[in-house]
Amino acid sequence: MDIFPALAGVLTDPILMGWVFLAAIVGMVVGAIPGLTASAAIAILLPLTFYMEPLPALAFLYVIGKSGRFGGSIAAILFNTPGTAASAATQLDGYPLARQGKASKAMKVATISSVIGDFTGEVLLIAGVAWIAAVALKLGPPELFAVYFAAFIVIGSVIGKSVTRGLASAALGVLVAMIGLDPISSTARFTFGSFDLTNGIGLVPLMIGIFVLGEVFAQIEERGKPASMVADDTDATLSNLTWAEYKPCLPHVVRSSFIGAFIGMLPGLGSAIAAFVAYGEGKRRARNPDEWGTGALEGVAAPEAANNAVSGPSMAPLLTLGIPGSTIGAILIGVFLIHGIQIGPTMFLTSRDLVYALFACGLIGIAMYGVIGYFGAAFIGRFITRIPTKVLYPIIFLTSFVAAYTSRGNLFDVYVMVAAGFVGWAMRKLDFNPAAFVISFVLAGGAEETFRQALLLSDNGLLIFVTRPVALLFLVIGFTALFLRVRSLNRHARAHALRDA
Amino acid sequence: MTPGSSPAPRVVGVALVLIGLAATATSLSISLDQYGRWGARYFPLAGAFALILLGAAELRSARAGRSFDRTHLPAIAGLLAVSVTYVWAISAFGYLISTALAAPAALWIFGTRNVLGLAVAAIACPTAYHLVFFKLLGVFPPLGRYFDLLDLFGGV
Repeated sequence: MDIFPALAGVLTDPILMGWVFLAAIVGMVVGAIPGLTASAAIAILLPLTFYMEPLPALAFLYVIGKSGRFGGSIAAILFNTPGTAASAATQLDGYPLARQGKASKAMKVATISSVIGDFTGEVLLIAGVAWIAAVALKLGPPELFAVYFAAFIVIGSVIGKSVTRGLASAALGVLVAMIGLDPISSTARFTFGSFDLTNGIGLVPLMIGIFVLGEVFAQIEERGKPASMVADDTDATLSNLTWAEYKPCLPHVVRSSFIGAFIGMLPGLGSAIAAFVAYGEGKRRARNPDEWGTGALEGVAAPEAANNAVSGPSMAPLLTLGIPGSTIGAILIGVFLIHGIQIGPTMFLTSRDLVYALFACGLIGIAMYGVIGYFGAAFIGRFITRIPTKVLYPIIFLTSFVAAYTSRGNLFDVYVMVAAGFVGWAMRKLDFNPAAFVISFVLAGGAEETFRQALLLSDNGLLIFVTRPVALLFLVIGFTALFLRVRSLNRHARAHALRDA
Repeated sequence: MTPGSSPAPRVVGVALVLIGLAATATSLSISLDQYGRWGARYFPLAGAFALILLGAAELRSARAGRSFDRTHLPAIAGLLAVSVTYVWAISAFGYLISTALAAPAALWIFGTRNVLGLAVAAIACPTAYHLVFFKLLGVFPPLGRYFDLLDLFGGV
């Protein structure tokens, strides 16, 4: 019930409402620009929020994440280029609809489905998060380490094209996080005598490098490819959406919302996986499976509901265990830390009002991007085609330098950002997983602390992790996820080889 | 584990093993705590061993991977050089002069050839960033070691 006073508080605060409105627009525009993601926008805007109060700062970035996920559908439908990885499934039916002159209709289906999915995820988060936090409070260091371990394995192995390179990305993230002074014994690790390295690698410059500068490097390969938008339809029957047309989409939207919400709770899986799972499941159960892929409205509704439903539940592991479920969650950790807010289960005791006010901002942000998207998606599409990428990306390039400097007022951080940018680009080129790298970097500190605390508690060394049932359960979950993923990839490889033969 | 699908499997495998070996050697040089325990070494060693194992797995399953597109490497190397030089220039000559040089360089790499546009960027970018970040937000600007334009303007 804490959410109702929080909603009233947010709705009566015009400045906070202004930040949420601005975030809804910024997220949608950034998400709709091919190549740019909500993560990039949040990473680059993060240093600006250091100068804001905690709630507006968190709400601004949180709503950018939500709106950015929806914004990706604009590019997928209008430009045949997914603005985000999560909207690639939307493109399968969205662009054929646009080619048929039904771009506005497809955008309206995407907007309504995104809003329903996002609301479902947010409501489930609000209803369940305090319960999860209460359970999390009962977990000791061995159980918490096992949760971290499962998160490393799942994040490294399940997303991305290569299991070995995904896990290597996670291991590299752990190694980079070890740079600096050991928090328990203050022993220098991987500092090589450098004073700058004794402070460790900053989260903000690392993320700006990986997600922003890395994307600028990647966009060099896209130079001279202008985004062209399909012609807007003027026929009202093609552009208007009727209840009769949307009604068959509803069962897909409801099912996909729950699929997305479930996948969102699992650390690291993210909205792209949710969208494709929902699309596959929707097509399997559809009355018109042959139409999917050629311009079925249901084929837009299902992935859009799922990819937005991920947003709310992906906050659950972050807020209750301090484990970010997504890159956006990893970035939000930076905001919490900068404002001195300790994340984890005790947060619901120490900062309960703030958490529910953030959820309220999320609900209002969903409504705002829903209204803006329903009436203004085509306008945003036209606006984006007018932004020349040869000017946009140099501006982003310059902004990333000043943003990295702003985080701690330190030029060493800017060097870190440049190195991370190049590494981020190289990781994408070589099928490594930058998201797993960053999330593991964030997780490593907590994982190490719980591991060493568990060993201090133990009389039997490492056996403590297998003699405690909850810890053992999470270790088994991690290894099972790895096994299933390897088996699935091997099957695909065999099928591919057989097809080639 | 995903044979033949990702680019440069042998190079990546060897690189992972080498990074893992280097990290192992460095981890073993981390001081023990006052009781002689390995506490601070556990995680660095775990990360290092993981890289060696994953590198070996990459090498074991190495087949001909996807070809690596090298078309844009000169431009990417150029942008990397501009990036490193830009940070060094900030430390040497301050933010304004270095941004006035980096802005047209970045625009050039991305394909802008209009001389007037490059000149406008050289003036507008440092001015705009200076006003937003160092005036409006109140961040202390990075001052040049050898010379800084802000010295002439009296820190405006």
